[in-house]
Amino acid sequence: MPFHRRQVLGFTIAAPFALGLQPALAANRAEVSREVLLMWHKLILELVRHTATYSPPVAARAFAYIGITAHEALATGNPALRSLAGQLTDLSPLPPRAAGQHDEPCVLHAALAAVVASLFANTGPTGQRAMTAMARKMGETASDGITGDAVARSVAAGQAVAQHILAWAATDGGAVIENMGFPMDYTPGTRPQDWVPTSLIRLQQAPLLPQWAQNRPFALPSADACDAPPHPAYDETPGSDFHAAALEVRDTFTALTDEQKLIARFWSDDPMLTSTPAGHWIDIVLQIADRDALPVEVISATLAKLGVAQADAFISCWSTKFKYNLLRPVTYIKRHIDPAWEPLLITPPHPEYTSGHSTQSGAAAAVLTFSLGENFAFDDATHVAEGFAPRSFPSFTAAAEEAAMSRLYGGIHYRFGNEAGLDQGRAVAAYAAALRTEA
Amino acid sequence: MRAALLTIALAAPALAEPVVPTFTEETASAGIDTVFDGDWDYMVGGGVATFDCSGDGFPELFLSGGAGPSALYLNRSAQGGALAFQKTEAVTLDAVLGAYPLDIDSDGVRDLVVLRLGENLLLRGLGECRFEDMTQAWGFDGGDAWSTAFAAIWERDQTWPTLAIGNYVDRKEEAFPWGSCTDNWLHRPESGPETQRFAPPIPLTPSHCALSMLFTDWNRSGQPGLRVSNDREYYKGGQEQMWHLEPGQPPRLYTEAEDGWKRLRIWGMGIASADVNLDGYPDYYLTSMADNKLQVLKDPASGKPDFADIAFKSALTAHRPYTGGDLRPSTAWHPQFADVNNDGLLDLFVAKGNVAQMPDFAAKDPNNLLLGQPDGVFVEAGDRAGVASFGIARGAQLVDLNLDGLLDLAVVNRWETAQLWRQTGALDGGWVQVRLQQDGPNRDAIGSVIEIRRGDKVERHEIASGGGHVSGSVGWLHFGLGTSAAAEMRVLWPDGTEGDWLTLSARSFQILRPDQAPETWTAE
Repeated sequence: MPFHRRQVLGFTIAAPFALGLQPALAANRAEVSREVLLMWHKLILELVRHTATYSPPVAARAFAYIGITAHEALATGNPALRSLAGQLTDLSPLPPRAAGQHDEPCVLHAALAAVVASLFANTGPTGQRAMTAMARKMGETASDGITGDAVARSVAAGQAVAQHILAWAATDGGAVIENMGFPMDYTPGTRPQDWVPTSLIRLQQAPLLPQWAQNRPFALPSADACDAPPHPAYDETPGSDFHAAALEVRDTFTALTDEQKLIARFWSDDPMLTSTPAGHWIDIVLQIADRDALPVEVISATLAKLGVAQADAFISCWSTKFKYNLLRPVTYIKRHIDPAWEPLLITPPHPEYTSGHSTQSGAAAAVLTFSLGENFAFDDATHVAEGFAPRSFPSFTAAAEEAAMSRLYGGIHYRFGNEAGLDQGRAVAAYAAALRTEA
Repeated sequence: MRAALLTIALAAPALAEPVVPTFTEETASAGIDTVFDGDWDYMVGGGVATFDCSGDGFPELFLSGGAGPSALYLNRSAQGGALAFQKTEAVTLDAVLGAYPLDIDSDGVRDLVVLRLGENLLLRGLGECRFEDMTQAWGFDGGDAWSTAFAAIWERDQTWPTLAIGNYVDRKEEAFPWGSCTDNWLHRPESGPETQRFAPPIPLTPSHCALSMLFTDWNRSGQPGLRVSNDREYYKGGQEQMWHLEPGQPPRLYTEAEDGWKRLRIWGMGIASADVNLDGYPDYYLTSMADNKLQVLKDPASGKPDFADIAFKSALTAHRPYTGGDLRPSTAWHPQFADVNNDGLLDLFVAKGNVAQMPDFAAKDPNNLLLGQPDGVFVEAGDRAGVASFGIARGAQLVDLNLDGLLDLAVVNRWETAQLWRQTGALDGGWVQVRLQQDGPNRDAIGSVIEIRRGDKVERHEIASGGGHVSGSVGWLHFGLGTSAAAEMRVLWPDGTEGDWLTLSARSFQILRPDQAPETWTAE
């Protein structure tokens, strides 16, 4: 169900009155909370890009925990909000606040600072320096004009929320990433359709995170709850459906227009060069929040649901990937169509079916459509700093469909992998969309 | 069939294991105690320059100190003896990240380009290892950046060099330093005949946080371009770069649309160039984190700068430690090709060390010494050779410090004393060392190409000032000869003059000048 204007106003008014604040001050504090949430997320997007273990599935997991943390930090002090405890797998009730006045920006800042410091504990010296600077700056912003005991009480409450979420996160199976997600040993499959490494990078001679589907999902009942149907039967015969799908990848590349090349690169969202596909959709929400001046409660609830949908989408997608273990187009095309062929984009180091970006984009679009509405037009300026002009979309669905097609343009997925991924993501998103964030 | 294949495999001649050189660390006994110190804003840099400023033919050492003092060490080694250096106060500066020797004013005395956190300096050599600051007098804008790369060349018909300075992140940015790469600068000569000054710098926009630069005639057109290796950690929309540098024209970036430049985005930290595959064109080793790259031109005839990465098949990825038990990915800095074991095949040294507290990368990250083999596949020997230090290495130089024909090694370490190794094992292979010298501008003939016959092929060496990781040398150029009693060699001088093919006796030092017979040099 989309947020309606009336409900949005309800959120903003309910929390301050609970604290006994005057309306003018309450509005000001809500603005500060909003700034805290947005500034921390701006940094988080950078940290995802600059932390070596943050491949797309790992990034999606972090976005989920951070979004949930923000929502829960607010929910512990706002009776208009409903906790996700009991709705998300194994999330127990959050610790209640101590008696006494709390300040929402201070609670939110303390929660985010703690959860970000923990999730990105392995970031490099520049990220550490940036986190320290952000903690100092946002701490000063949040506590400006607030009495010392209220600040201390609020910080304790925020940190308690963060520790509760982090303890929960530590048990999901995805907390420890070694060797940047690539197994030290890997035995490739022996069938002709099995995935083989596509990269000349030594580290990537094993697939990324083959055990990721064993992680505990957030809202999805199980990793295979939304499995994709079988792909077209593997066949090397010219004229077969599979051969035709590979031929389409090659022929699409041959006839690429400048616009299609741009689309491929716009949605490429490479790890360690961008905030990953999941971060791209988080960025879209932040841009909309800025454009529409969304209240902090709406932003945090949207980020929480989006994070859950994307994290579960990767778990679901990885379950399918390693079930079918299908070779990439570049492998098939070089073997059976054109030995010299190279795709436009760098082929990701994991099996083809289903497309990860398509799956999580399908999930993202579906959950955002549920939260913010059908035909919700927006401009996507995620990659302006990379030199890409903003792209305009009439709806989240249109953006997700373009993201899926970008993988065909880029030469890294068959069309069937993209289409099945979109469907898979939409199915996954239904579980996230069903989460209740309001009382 | 299986049995037949096995028989064939067994019958094939096995490659002889390359001779492993032996290095002995002599840091303390040689009198070296400089540490590259400092916090976040010294996480890159840490260079070493080697050059003869005393006139005795033995290379001196200049070591950067980061937040601590830099130091110039006079070489007091006896030929073939233990390494011995005398620390001086001649160039004691703070905030030094690296340095390159260069005879800027072509007076026959090497000067020093000092890269710093803050203003870069040009120090004019006065002889006897004395220097004066000519930064302002030469019209050089030293800037106020985090300078981390350098390259120099004499452009066609110029009497004064062109300097490229690579700059890193805006160090004042705390929470959002990413995307804050500051402009690299190109310092060309001031216009006018016989000028002795630099014009105001030209920004090389866009700049993407350069950590290495190199002028190189990549396509043998006679017109070098400027390769720039950039750290993807900090740029947005960036990539590896190369610039056109036509005389009298503004620098112009190679692009995908106009030139067929192929996008590559790595944590670029150092460039080493050599004709590794003996195709006559320079190849480029680019250091990074985890896998490193060895680029060779795919199709020189196409005229397009389209490179294939052959690091994987050459066993040169050097992507994780090979000893010490830390299996996390490596972090590579200064690369340098040289024939370390004098077998006539190029080897590769790579300085390794964590950026600092990056827990996903190896903390115990040994330097690599990768020995070349006839089949083009390299084999690791750093531990067996004795140079597999776990210091947090940055810059380095392979150079013959005691002039015994065996390359020695200097490595700068972060937070620890720089290390010095003397090559002490006996090698059967011969060597020759040459020094290029010409009258007029560009005394050391930067931009020359030395060709040396290797069987039925010719190995080409561009003589450059730049590359590596903020480290460079001017002086004797070392070539291993294997079992050959002499080197067949010629010089293509910067003005295009093709020198005659020369036969140079093994185990000799030779000074080569245009249109003159080689002069054998002996230490006094």
